[in-house]
Amino acid sequence: MEAMVLKFVDAVRAAGLRVSTVEVMDCLNHLSLVDVLDEGQFATVLRSSFAKSYPERLRFDQLYHLFFHELRERLEPTSEPLADHAEALRQALVDAEPERAELGPIADFLVARPEAYLRLITNLSNPEPAQAAMGDQFGAGLSGIGPRLSVLMALDRVSPLLKAFLEENRHQIPYDLRRALEDEIRRRLSTARRLLLRVDQPLGRGPVEPRAAVADVYGDLGNTPFANLSPREMRRMSDTIATLVRKLRDSASRRFAARARGVPDLRGTLRAAMRTQGTPIVLKFRHKPQRKARILALCDVSSSVWSYARFTLTMLYALQDCFGRVRSFVFVDEPVEVTHHFDDHEVAQALQLVLKSPEITFEASTDYGRMLRLFESRHMDAVDKKTTVIIIGDGRTNYRDPAPTVLAEIRSHARRVLWLNPESSPFWHTGDSEMRTYEPLCNEVRPCQNLNQLAAFFHELVL
Amino acid sequence: MTKGPLKHFQDVDDARRTLESAGYVCTPDIATVVFLAAAGDKPILVEGPAGVGKTELAKAMATGLGYELIRLQCYEGLDEAKALYEWEYAKQLLYMQMVRENVNDLLAGADSLADAVDLIAAQADVFFSDRFLLPRPLLQAILSPTPVVLLVDEVDKSDPEFEAFLLELLSDFQVTIPELGTRRAVGVPLVVLTSNAFRDLSDALKRRCLHLYIDYPEADVEREIVRRQVPGLSEALARQMTSAMARIRRLELKKRPSIAETLDWARALINLQIESLSPEAVLATLSVICKYREDSDLVRKDLNGVVNL
Repeated sequence: MEAMVLKFVDAVRAAGLRVSTVEVMDCLNHLSLVDVLDEGQFATVLRSSFAKSYPERLRFDQLYHLFFHELRERLEPTSEPLADHAEALRQALVDAEPERAELGPIADFLVARPEAYLRLITNLSNPEPAQAAMGDQFGAGLSGIGPRLSVLMALDRVSPLLKAFLEENRHQIPYDLRRALEDEIRRRLSTARRLLLRVDQPLGRGPVEPRAAVADVYGDLGNTPFANLSPREMRRMSDTIATLVRKLRDSASRRFAARARGVPDLRGTLRAAMRTQGTPIVLKFRHKPQRKARILALCDVSSSVWSYARFTLTMLYALQDCFGRVRSFVFVDEPVEVTHHFDDHEVAQALQLVLKSPEITFEASTDYGRMLRLFESRHMDAVDKKTTVIIIGDGRTNYRDPAPTVLAEIRSHARRVLWLNPESSPFWHTGDSEMRTYEPLCNEVRPCQNLNQLAAFFHELVL
Repeated sequence: MTKGPLKHFQDVDDARRTLESAGYVCTPDIATVVFLAAAGDKPILVEGPAGVGKTELAKAMATGLGYELIRLQCYEGLDEAKALYEWEYAKQLLYMQMVRENVNDLLAGADSLADAVDLIAAQADVFFSDRFLLPRPLLQAILSPTPVVLLVDEVDKSDPEFEAFLLELLSDFQVTIPELGTRRAVGVPLVVLTSNAFRDLSDALKRRCLHLYIDYPEADVEREIVRRQVPGLSEALARQMTSAMARIRRLELKKRPSIAETLDWARALINLQIESLSPEAVLATLSVICKYREDSDLVRKDLNGVVNL
């Protein structure tokens, strides 16, 4: 029993969930308290000890099913001869093509030892830093696809190898056993394939559901995508954004004004009164420490989002106008700070300055991975636990390495990471869009194509 | 771990019965986690959408076991003085005024100033004793001589600093008050933390707790809940209602209706003396189910689908 749980823990860890030793010990203790023959209770014990949030829970359920149902049946000790042959097959698969490193984990997986294979496909979606750096070079840009392809090819090799193995041993293994073995291995092979192709689909984003409906305040103008505006509508849009910003600033400052006054602090007042023989002469107030929210915005201004750039920049300007401590960066393939432009100039002038800035490499092609790595090395000190990082962009990174580990690193330092995408969500997983990679790493991802969505976002950011 | 005498519950089934005796219909999942938490002195971290009975679970535990429920509602800016303990300064001051005359009697025997100071020092403890200590929920839970259920509601709304402090308390179940010394828990309270995933909780806290995710209930569990909570409801109507609710939840709503809304809806239907669910009946009671105008519009558009005509 213990051995099985420990093996499962290994698989869970291989799949990327963090499980500490204490949790394993607790889990084993708990198992001694419940009726382990009741599968419901058994599963609940494991789940409540290992999966500690909603997305983890979804992942856990997948793994649990895989480990205890799909891989447990038939080949396990119940049928001794079959297990022996399976082991022989595993050996044959490993020996057949030693240069194909992926075959080892796959062979293990086929005989119900899924840890190595799970680790392999987990590493595919979070490449090691060394690997990521390699992907920086030209041509290695398809780094996300490369390793996956080689695993897929290794999977394809298994089928002919299996056939050869069975042919070779046709006299040693009776017919019905051979059939059973072949069926079972083929079934597991398709499971392995499914795992590989499904594993990097974004997990559920937790109990916070994306808000489907957005208040329709600005009528037609509010629902028109930024990209489809006529010059006249653009002017109206700028006016409307200015109004929006003013309103927001008012509500934000009202909120802080109420805080600044504070409530009388009895404890402090009395303590001060001790000095004057208990006569309260100096009144003390309780000043709530203002939560000094910082915002750090990263905005894509490359050609693929050119039609939105004006508005995303207006958004940035508005953000900086509304909130006290905002740092704004724009990027194509490297981040450039534009906070000072926005601080010193009117909105129209600031936009001109940014769009003509010589520092920004407009002619380069978008590279989110490079941008994130450069940001990490140059500006990481700007991110602390009070910082909300907002990334505005379409996540189209020209098939270069998306560097998800860097974004994960940024998230672990920040309060939250929000992603605003000027494309509508059906397009996120197409072509070179890496939203699939980035989405699970952000606290929230939402489309931001028109004024209504923008207003809704600002509103929730303030309140 | 050796099987000692189990606290609070005998086994999983006992936990389920206890919760049900308090009017809480629970899935095997919930019963198992509650039993394990009670047996292993672990806090439960409950997550799930709003209104599925996270807080209710703690209340049911308290009612079912006959324990006192101590509740701490978390919010931004919650500090130790409000959560743990505070000295009653006003009372101390008042007492000081009243005993001012007695001080002369006390000092009558003193020859020198040094003696007088010593005499006063000997009495100083009087002002920092339990008499002037105002226990807040956390200290109450720890010092209570009878077993209690401690509910820390919406722990994700509190500041990270408070979370760290809570962590310390939950691991040792003891509190150090500088003037009085360390107070250790008499009995370890049953702790329930609830969270709406407003922000990520720290790994350390998650590691200490058993995690329980409560989702919207299955239609028949929900029917059971409605039947228990709203006695006058006919079986047929309850069936219609809960399946309509399941369909409403499948719509793209801003705020999905939870069990609380289902119960309100059932009561509204009874008050309107509606026997069978029709599109008109849903329309008349829509304000109970949907809390946003956009949501109402969505449901209104799909009335026949919702009632399954």
